[in-house]
Amino acid sequence: MLEGLNTAAAGMAAQQQRIDAVANDLANANTTGYKHVRVGFRDLVYTQTGRASAQGPQTGAGAAAVDAGRAFSQGTLQRTEQPLDVAIQGEGFLRVRLPDGTAALTRDGSLHVDGTGRLVTSTGGIVQPAVTLPADVDPSRVEIAQDGTVRAGDRALGRLDLVSVRSPQRLQAVGDNAFLPTAESGAPRPAPATTTLTQGALEASNTDVADAMVSMIESQRAFQLTSKAIQTADQMWEIANGVKR
Amino acid sequence: MDRGLYIAASGMLAEQIRQDQIANDLANSATPGYKSDRTAQRQFGDLLLANSTSGATVGSQSTAVQVDAIETDFTPKASRETGEPLDFAITGTGFFSVQTEQGVRYTRNGQFTVSPQGLLVTAQGDPVLGRGGRTLQVGADGRVDPRALDVVELTNPRKAGDNLVAGAPAAAGATTGQVRAGALEASGADAARAMVDMIASLRSFEAGQRVITTIDSTLEKAANNVGRVGV
Repeated sequence: MLEGLNTAAAGMAAQQQRIDAVANDLANANTTGYKHVRVGFRDLVYTQTGRASAQGPQTGAGAAAVDAGRAFSQGTLQRTEQPLDVAIQGEGFLRVRLPDGTAALTRDGSLHVDGTGRLVTSTGGIVQPAVTLPADVDPSRVEIAQDGTVRAGDRALGRLDLVSVRSPQRLQAVGDNAFLPTAESGAPRPAPATTTLTQGALEASNTDVADAMVSMIESQRAFQLTSKAIQTADQMWEIANGVKR
Repeated sequence: MDRGLYIAASGMLAEQIRQDQIANDLANSATPGYKSDRTAQRQFGDLLLANSTSGATVGSQSTAVQVDAIETDFTPKASRETGEPLDFAITGTGFFSVQTEQGVRYTRNGQFTVSPQGLLVTAQGDPVLGRGGRTLQVGADGRVDPRALDVVELTNPRKAGDNLVAGAPAAAGATTGQVRAGALEASGADAARAMVDMIASLRSFEAGQRVITTIDSTLEKAANNVGRVGV
């Protein structure tokens, strides 16, 4: 019976992890280029009760949450008409150097010009390879082509480099809309030719608010139900204690 | 009379196991493709009671109860749309095949992902097998053709943890299951049934305790009051 207590506690912990993940998805429902997480569950080991015969009754030890990686489905494009906003359509990332010097990937294309004329993301990551606007170029006159070529009038200023990884689900999210490549995700390589940039638009978060709410309700109810199993196990202990008066 | 003590205690032990099983169902009420269990109880061998002087039989009496088996209900459950390209659900019977370190295992939880090598794997990282026992490569568009996944019918399925099921595959083509992408099968745990079972089990446990305390007080009377003179 002690097992039932632990089984239920494991189930509650798993639901709590999903609620945390869904809460983060909902908090980022309006974050440019945000990708929601896929949380799943698995059942835990089954142990034989009684004799160790091959087909004896076996009871499970509860549930645990599993991370099935991020969902890299396309977010909807929102028109902003800002000349330095770009949205990535298809698989791929912009390469940036974060303020602490690490090379990262991002799908947040809300670019700005910093003090020295370089293109930077809204969180201060410098686009790699650096694209510098000369002082005489008006940022609102910049044109960014579908392949990433940056032009001002007929002057080519550089190119926004699009890369992809083999397994984007295994990228490490480090906050500030940035992802780091890991050994599991594979090294960055040129993005497929089907990936294009759209100027004057931003990619919205791919969190589906309705879906997230349903997951939240489901987890909350499962949490509640499992807590009843703990209460019942506790009551059974009390009854067992009453055997000897 | 003291036989009753042990019969009641065996019933309480059986209810403890049932409670563990219900707690596991409830803990997995949101696990995709989870299959619920049911505890089957069975009585121990009956004892034939006979009148010791005349030899006439009085009747039979059970000596105890034990948990015989925990049976898993493998009937397919409804699937729900998730829209994720790497979520799969089997409509109808059958299981996905998974290559684990312990050999080929099976699952109905189709929440898959991509390995660093670009293979379709479970969330635990075990490769999912396609038709002919080959691993599946995830396409450049991040999708896998649901028809490429192997669906196997099992003759003796048995849960092995981590959403996996062990068993012997039946002859090829025995399955009627169809794979759908972008959907997950709901958990087989029925919250309402589990709650009712839990209450029934709790009360049965309580009744066992009452029987023990009643027999205890009867024994107390027998030990202390029988033969006392001038109460």
